[in-house]
Amino acid sequence: MKLRLWIRALFLIAIAAISGCRKYAEAPKPDPLLSAYDTEPDWTDAQKIIPLSYQQSQGKRIFYQQCVWCHADATPAGPSNRSNLTPVPPLLNDGATLNAESDEFMQNIITLGGSALGKSAMMPPYGKMLSSEEIRSVIAFARAVGQPPYQPPVRPASQYSAK
Amino acid sequence: MPAEEMGKLTNRMRLVFAVSSLVFLAVLAISPIKDFRREWKQNKRSYLRFAQTRPDTKKLLADYRAEIDQIWLPGMNVVDRCTTCHQGITQASLADPVVPQPFRAHPPIPHNVRDWGCTICHRGQGPATEVAEAHESTLAWEQPILPARFIQASCGTCHYENLRQTPQLTRGRELLAELNCQGCHRLPGVERPAMLGPDLTNVGTKVSREWIYKWLKEPRTITDKDGNVTVNGYETEEEPRMPKFRLTETELRGLSAYLSSQKTKSFVLYKLDAHVVAAWSKNPELASQGELRFRQMFCSTCHSLAVTRAGETKLIGGDIGPELTKVGSKVNPDWLVTWLRDPQGYLPHTKMPRYGWSDEDLYKVTQYITTKLTDSDLLTGVPQLGQPTEAEIQLGHRLFLEKGCASCHSIEGLNPQKDFGPDLSAIGGKNASELEFGASTIPHNLVSYIQAKLQDPASVNTAARMPQYNWNQADLDAITTALLSMKGAPPTSALQNLVVPRKEVAFHPTGAFAEVYERYKCFTCHKFNGYGGDLAPDLTYEGSRAQRQWIVDFLKNPQTLRPTLILRMPQFNMSDKDAATLADYMTLVLQHPDASPGAIDAKEFTPAMAVLGKQLYEVKYQCQSCHTIGGTGGYVGPNLNNAGGWLTPAWIEAWLRNPQALVPETIEPRRNFTEAEVKALTAYLMTLRQSIKPQKTASVAGSRVATQGASR
Repeated sequence: MKLRLWIRALFLIAIAAISGCRKYAEAPKPDPLLSAYDTEPDWTDAQKIIPLSYQQSQGKRIFYQQCVWCHADATPAGPSNRSNLTPVPPLLNDGATLNAESDEFMQNIITLGGSALGKSAMMPPYGKMLSSEEIRSVIAFARAVGQPPYQPPVRPASQYSAK
Repeated sequence: MPAEEMGKLTNRMRLVFAVSSLVFLAVLAISPIKDFRREWKQNKRSYLRFAQTRPDTKKLLADYRAEIDQIWLPGMNVVDRCTTCHQGITQASLADPVVPQPFRAHPPIPHNVRDWGCTICHRGQGPATEVAEAHESTLAWEQPILPARFIQASCGTCHYENLRQTPQLTRGRELLAELNCQGCHRLPGVERPAMLGPDLTNVGTKVSREWIYKWLKEPRTITDKDGNVTVNGYETEEEPRMPKFRLTETELRGLSAYLSSQKTKSFVLYKLDAHVVAAWSKNPELASQGELRFRQMFCSTCHSLAVTRAGETKLIGGDIGPELTKVGSKVNPDWLVTWLRDPQGYLPHTKMPRYGWSDEDLYKVTQYITTKLTDSDLLTGVPQLGQPTEAEIQLGHRLFLEKGCASCHSIEGLNPQKDFGPDLSAIGGKNASELEFGASTIPHNLVSYIQAKLQDPASVNTAARMPQYNWNQADLDAITTALLSMKGAPPTSALQNLVVPRKEVAFHPTGAFAEVYERYKCFTCHKFNGYGGDLAPDLTYEGSRAQRQWIVDFLKNPQTLRPTLILRMPQFNMSDKDAATLADYMTLVLQHPDASPGAIDAKEFTPAMAVLGKQLYEVKYQCQSCHTIGGTGGYVGPNLNNAGGWLTPAWIEAWLRNPQALVPETIEPRRNFTEAEVKALTAYLMTLRQSIKPQKTASVAGSRVATQGASR
């Protein structure tokens, strides 16, 4: 008798608890290509499409306005200026060369030009033309298209960081 | 009732009471538990935990409150609770893409997120506190989040002028204008030019009824099996302006009958000088001479021709005028002569300039076009239509108005309906419930609707009169972005005040210059004070840039300054007087205040300065990476072989100091030259001189010899 009563009570509680719950609508799962701000085909494999973040998409725009003339093999105007230059400038996706350079170095060489960092003076300085934010976005774009892919350096943990 | 039974009952009642109290308590507890487990509270707590793992915990939690966080901007209708979950939005240290959402920082943009809120750009539901409700559209909330790849549309809702940072939006706006969408739709910011499609008042003198039939049926737009747009079977990147209308056989017959009967008495075809025809008609080199002239005139700057290279046929040339590969089988040869001689006599608003053709040139070029640029198969599959009957003409007349042809093409004496298609000035802000999806199974939201309508208008509305376009994905997205940006007038006055209007661009020259300018249609390719095309250099400051004598020589004999350009200034056969008129106006009027040619005397440059300048050019700054001098150097900038004969010293100096001050969109980077270096480089560049090759004189002399030979 008692047991039955308890079972009934538990049953009631269970019903109340279940009815109190409501299934929340699933949060949207973004497709990386659909939620990308822009895309860029992989330079070595046109079938592969790289989704770009906002910053990278800004970098892409600036790259195709300013840098494409010497750092790509095809330009919006047709032939590239790359072959006219000695030393030959690296392609933007040349991960073998660019992955070894830190973001700080890339920022400096774009801002100050090649001669300021002991590289070819053919690389002009863009510090008076592009903002440091814009230059950072170009670097972000270069990192996105790099082949082999760029691995960001592991940041040393701060001594103040929580354990 | 006996007492002990009473006691029994009471015990039982007690138990029931106790149990129901427990149940009641449990039910009461559900509400606080539910409240505790609300999505935004969970996000709040997980942000707390997340912040503990970061080195700058203190900074991340400086303004943390366990409540709903809200950006409230009453003037702009913004009540955005997005920052309740997206708590790290202004924390620069969370910009790294490895930071999980919703805590990642907002990428740096020109606007401060706290001053603008989120939904102004991203749409979605600001006041919602659940992930799905804020992001998706539901019955109660209608605006879903704008997919990131269309985000530039939001820039366009306030920035009516084109921004450098929004190429996709700009491309979309250009497409809307290029494809003549404003012919039928009202589109804010896309103004209606004087002419959309060609005026058809005299089209009956130009083409045959069969050709019209074929054109209406398949306006040379064919998509191949890979989805590429082809023109006459040649691959191209351009969508032809005339779209494909879905017309039935009867409609095709009616329209072709009506159009082929369009001829007015006032339009008279030009007759070539009989002597010229007699002298040349038997010459075996007639067509090849015509082709030579066609090339010398740089017709390909505006018109493309199919060229087969290495087994691949492609269209080479510009897209300002129509593609001409098969035009010889299209037009009436007598009409062609009349057209080439004076295009503006046939179409008053045409972009085609009036060239100074002689009858001899006209004959040669038209013979080349009508005998070589032909295709005997052009009209295969077109039935023999015969003379149009009165009933067919009547039907065609009615269809011309009903189908909306008259929205783009005018015919003298015909009054078209204004605003033929729906007004699109607020399309970008429409809710899904305001759209008609018909029987289609696409997701019910604005973006899907726009894209479905653009790709196949009949898919959402079987009675749609809108023609069929072929898009590639990039163009489809660009035009969708432009349409999404058109949200109509801002709802509040505070937002109204934020609108950045388009710059009013107008260039209204007067006098002798205006007449020559209109005749050669300089604005088709060049910009003046922001008005005009962008195929060729902006001439707003040409008077500051170039020396007067150079302008005259260039107009008489255009040469390319950039080695990679294939599109060039056509050879207008300009008279000395016309060239002088243009050059005088440019040197006097088209000046930049910071580069006044009179301000610098060329005598101040010493040979020693030039030597230093050469050093700077070649060694310190290595300008040869982009510019060519004497055959060596880069392709990016103009060649400087004749810099001294072309540019004014004032322009060179101003340019070296700050190129973007003179031409904002130039890609030449601004350098850190000292004043002495500027002077030295200018001195060096002014020593560079090279006479322009007398290309034109040779060809004219050649043709003269040929004429004399023929007349003898």
